[in-house]
Amino acid sequence: MVILIDYSFLLIRGLGITLWISWVALLLAALIGALIGLGRTSKRWSIRFLTGVYAEFFRSIPVLVTLFFVYYGLTLLTGINLSTFVAATIALALEGSAMMSEVVRGGLQSIAKGQREAALSTGMKAWQVELFIVWPQAIRVMIPPAVGVYVSTLKASSLASVIGYVELTKTGLLIRESVRGHSGSLLILVVIATIYVIINFAISRLGAMLEERNNFVN
Amino acid sequence: MYNFNLFFIFPYLDSLQWAIWNTLQISVTATFLSIIFGVLMALVRLSNYKYLRLCGVFYVEVVRNMPMVVLLYLIFFGLPSFGIVLSGYISGLTALTMNSTAFMTEIFRSGFMAVSKGQFEAARAQGMTNTQLYRFIILPQVFRISYASLGNQIIGVIMGSSIMMIATIEEVTAWMFNTGSINFRYFEVFFVGGLVYFVLCQTVNLVRNALGKIIFKTAAAGGPW
Repeated sequence: MVILIDYSFLLIRGLGITLWISWVALLLAALIGALIGLGRTSKRWSIRFLTGVYAEFFRSIPVLVTLFFVYYGLTLLTGINLSTFVAATIALALEGSAMMSEVVRGGLQSIAKGQREAALSTGMKAWQVELFIVWPQAIRVMIPPAVGVYVSTLKASSLASVIGYVELTKTGLLIRESVRGHSGSLLILVVIATIYVIINFAISRLGAMLEERNNFVN
Repeated sequence: MYNFNLFFIFPYLDSLQWAIWNTLQISVTATFLSIIFGVLMALVRLSNYKYLRLCGVFYVEVVRNMPMVVLLYLIFFGLPSFGIVLSGYISGLTALTMNSTAFMTEIFRSGFMAVSKGQFEAARAQGMTNTQLYRFIILPQVFRISYASLGNQIIGVIMGSSIMMIATIEEVTAWMFNTGSINFRYFEVFFVGGLVYFVLCQTVNLVRNALGKIIFKTAAAGGPW
């Protein structure tokens, strides 16, 4: 137990890295997901189909596979040596974007048709309708499930430890190696698990609170 | 430029076959176990006893908020400290089942909650025993309500089985990784492996939709097709 206190600085650093990488990945996922989600509500059949295939594709490929693909495959294809951070971020963003596209689609479809029609009938241009009428309302619907996507991304970021990126899980495993034989070697795994549970639980609660507030407003 | 050639995969198709078998085996086992445990845990979560209910909430929240890798490490590396040494397969199966059970619990809990109270009361008023009540009245409705989410969770189990390579189980992801490090044809290997997962998951999707139409005579939500 005492021995772990010496490592607490490393644990905090690991947690910071985990939060950072999942946050960057979430932002990228939100950007890609917004485009894909827009495509999924498009009037054109072909765009709807292509973006649907994209979402279904990444929904049916495990994160670990995407991660290996980006880390080893992209490096072979482009000849650029991706760092573990970049590879993990891209993989998490791709996986997250499929979930985000669902969130965006759900949000856009939750806005009643009458809103669009009313806005168009007052003489607004199509982009104005989207920007000033539909999206401000849709985003409020999207945020609670987007928090859920953040939690999944945070959990998935633990897989980056498999390609050797030193985030919270890998930090824990490395500490476990160095305190081997001491009583801390089991405890460190419990500590890591507890940190994940507390962080994710707090974030999910936040999402639930936002959802309740939405319901209250509605 | 990379020379994409699937011929490099041919010598490894035999081991791929085993890898797919292992993936299917662990996914199907974990799915069945987690459905059974999920129904039981849902009943625990809705129990009349406060402490039992709290235990259910605790289990679900802890397991759901923990990455499955960490759960696997806890079982695979942690349990031996207590003298419990599980094989890779059993630890992997335990982690996958525990994780899936947490999600199944929530799915079935919302199913149970969606069945209106009147159904319970009416069945009791008819003089049904508890077993009859659940067997003929409640569980069929719960199954119907939970059906669509059940399919999603089965896909989740298949995806989760990819993590089992850490517990030295020779499933599809492990095959991809091992074959890639032998022949350095990462692109082909990932193409084939990704295709396997895509086909597996979409099969679940299609079967779910088709079966749903037959059983319930209504369409369940599905993919882009």
